[in-house]
Amino acid sequence: MKIAVSSEGPDLESKVGQRFGTSKYFVIVDKETMDFESVPNPGASSSSGSGVQAIVLVVTKKVDTVLTGYCSPTAMGHLNKNGIKIVTGAGGSVYDAVTRYKKSELRNIPKADHKPDSWTGENNRAAPTIAFKSSARQFFNLLPTLAGVVLLIGLFNALMSKELLSLVFSGDAFFDTLWGACFGSIFAGNPVNSYVIGGQLLEYDVSLFAVTAVIVAWVTVGLVQIPAEISALGRKFAVVRNVVSFFMSIAVAGVTVVLFNFIRWKF
Amino acid sequence: MSKDKSESITWKNRTVRLTLFPVLILTIYAVLFAVMPEKAIAAFKSSGKIFLNIIIPLGFVFILLLAFNLFLKPAHIVKFFGKKSGIKGIMLSSAAGIISMGPVFAWYPLLRELREKGAANSLMAIFINSRAIKPFLLPVMISYFGLRYVTVLTAVTVAGTIVAGYITGVLSRD
Repeated sequence: MKIAVSSEGPDLESKVGQRFGTSKYFVIVDKETMDFESVPNPGASSSSGSGVQAIVLVVTKKVDTVLTGYCSPTAMGHLNKNGIKIVTGAGGSVYDAVTRYKKSELRNIPKADHKPDSWTGENNRAAPTIAFKSSARQFFNLLPTLAGVVLLIGLFNALMSKELLSLVFSGDAFFDTLWGACFGSIFAGNPVNSYVIGGQLLEYDVSLFAVTAVIVAWVTVGLVQIPAEISALGRKFAVVRNVVSFFMSIAVAGVTVVLFNFIRWKF
Repeated sequence: MSKDKSESITWKNRTVRLTLFPVLILTIYAVLFAVMPEKAIAAFKSSGKIFLNIIIPLGFVFILLLAFNLFLKPAHIVKFFGKKSGIKGIMLSSAAGIISMGPVFAWYPLLRELREKGAANSLMAIFINSRAIKPFLLPVMISYFGLRYVTVLTAVTVAGTIVAGYITGVLSRD
């Protein structure tokens, strides 16, 4: 039988983590042999969705019971649905918590101060306020870069000319699309910026092929994010996915514009 | 270090990171104004016009963001991924990618866990690539490119991400 204990450190002497979702580690202990394995909680450093990541982790590890200080009722519901028993109110060291649990001294202590479950929103009266705050944060996070991009386009409009831009985007559909895909692959960030840049490029008579490639590659290919993708999902996957996506953005641009022109011509 | 102090430093870092780019551009404006004031004014006016064009679509963006945050939660997205391969798995990974929000790197830890849980590489790639479709940004996209183009692009992108996901799955197989 496997017991996962939310923990502040990676061993049996570490203190029990008081919050299921954001504890630094899970120490997974074999109830019979007391052999253990410690796993860092991917949700510990996340500002949102930590509960989900912790649930995914303990489900993945095929744990039977979770011991922790506090766990939200909704997370409890999800764990129970996966056949995992959860015991709250645990304290002291991981070793103590497991020993007490084995002696049946540790029981579920429901807490009165249930925090809202921002990641499920079930039965949660505070959900609209949380959603509003979250939306405001996301919205205001995208504004500074967008403002910078718009100001940059203003500079571009004042200082550059169509002739200068035509040195890169010559009007050749294939090469324009290729350059567009390269441009979109280098830059990353909120896609709204690619729409504004794309719209402006159209005003400079850059082809729709190139603009479409910029928009698609902007999100699907991320050169600046490749190190993070490699460390999370492996080198082979990250490299293959980015290369395939680069060619996909060119193909999508081609098909989209041909189809769009056909529809425009037909209707 | 107290929690409040560390939170305030994190907040400060984030603010610096977010404002660095616009501040840099404004510095270029200041330099340009000193050298060629008429060009700087023309650039500023041009930016103002763009702002006016996107202000209403951005209002809609906020409303859509609110609706998404209210009705769609990360738990739903994880549930989508729980389904295994087949057409249903593909459709659900695609849908999960489309409705997922925030920067892609915020999803990496979760993707890694799901992968260890047995989610296929192709479904991972479909999820990441499908993030090219942003329903809450459609108002801005439509205001720039028109509804017809956006509809075609969205449909072709969905198909393209599925094909690319499948190819990635085959090529990155261990």
